[in-house]
Amino acid sequence: MYKYQSSKNSGAKSWILQRITGLALVVLMLGHYILMHYSPDSGHTYEAVLTRMQFSWYRIIDLLFVTLAMYHGLNGLWGIFRDYKLAPWLRISIISVLVILGVAFTAWAYNIIFSIPYVHNIALLL
Amino acid sequence: MKVTLSILRFDPEKDEKPYRKDYEIDVDPSFRILDCLDKVKWDIDGGLAYRRSCSHGICGSDAMMINGKNMLACQVLVHDFKNKYIKIDPIPSLPIIKDLIVDMESFFAKYDVVKPYLIAKSQPPAKERYQSIEDRAVIDEAVNCILCGACSASCPSLWTNDSYLGPAAMLKAYRFVFDSRDDAANERLDVVDSPDGLWRCHTIFNCVEVCPKEINITWHLSQLKKKCAMREF
Ligand code: SF4
Ligand code: FES
Repeated sequence: MYKYQSSKNSGAKSWILQRITGLALVVLMLGHYILMHYSPDSGHTYEAVLTRMQFSWYRIIDLLFVTLAMYHGLNGLWGIFRDYKLAPWLRISIISVLVILGVAFTAWAYNIIFSIPYVHNIALLL
Repeated sequence: MKVTLSILRFDPEKDEKPYRKDYEIDVDPSFRILDCLDKVKWDIDGGLAYRRSCSHGICGSDAMMINGKNMLACQVLVHDFKNKYIKIDPIPSLPIIKDLIVDMESFFAKYDVVKPYLIAKSQPPAKERYQSIEDRAVIDEAVNCILCGACSASCPSLWTNDSYLGPAAMLKAYRFVFDSRDDAANERLDVVDSPDGLWRCHTIFNCVEVCPKEINITWHLSQLKKKCAMREF
């Protein structure tokens, strides 16, 4: 016998955020591909990356990229899991694993980006 | 013309599991599939069970899966099918009561949850609650639903999660949320704006493909999604 389960957690916010982050990621991904894969002079060497990372705006874009991609990807995964009828314990376990994974990977990425040193004489790198 | 109907049969009192049975009949190409079923029942096998009432696409009782697609048996003709071996199954995802008859209990329970009736909080006028032509146009398509269940039974989101409200119930929510005479939009939005409601619709469009009334259900659900999203600001 069907019984409707009401919920305070509507899903509307996560739906809106999924769309906004999706749109932002299209722009960021395009920039990423053009810069990292299609422009011959961008370079992937340690020096080239270090040079790019001297610009704070570049770091900010990277941080934004990582945060949005993590949210979008894991929220999308959660959406797929949520399409199945899950026992409450399983639902809580899955969301916990996803949140822990999201926080851990984002923190890891932040740590890497913040640990790249600012070099005083940028001319040495160029 | 000879046609073979391959019908999924199941009598829970006798059979362990459903099985297919083929019936070869002589029909006119202008026969509807419902006429073919009548012919089988009246001339060959009186035990065959299926629902039908109006025979003219109005009551919505004879939705079934014909050659893999949900449709009304009274709305399709034999000459619509190239291959004259026609497979007929009950609409999926609902428990079979017998042969092509499914248990619509949960379908109507979900329908009930969205409060499928006008809730007007103002004093009733002397004659009737008027609606302008423009206001009515907003719900023109949605009011055409005949509750056949073809859409909900075709939705993969419902196949994987039987708690999902499904397209038919939410289309009914649209019909009242966007009705200029109704005052309970928020109550209905609270129901559809839930994890087993609107957000399980992934715009797959199966419902639109099968709706015998050609209602663009997905578009209507999108309008509800927008309305729910607007409530967040
Ligand atoms: S929306 Fe179309 S397919 Fe769905 S129940 Fe109504 S008439 Fe049937
Ligand atoms: S018998 Fe009424 S819709 Fe087909």
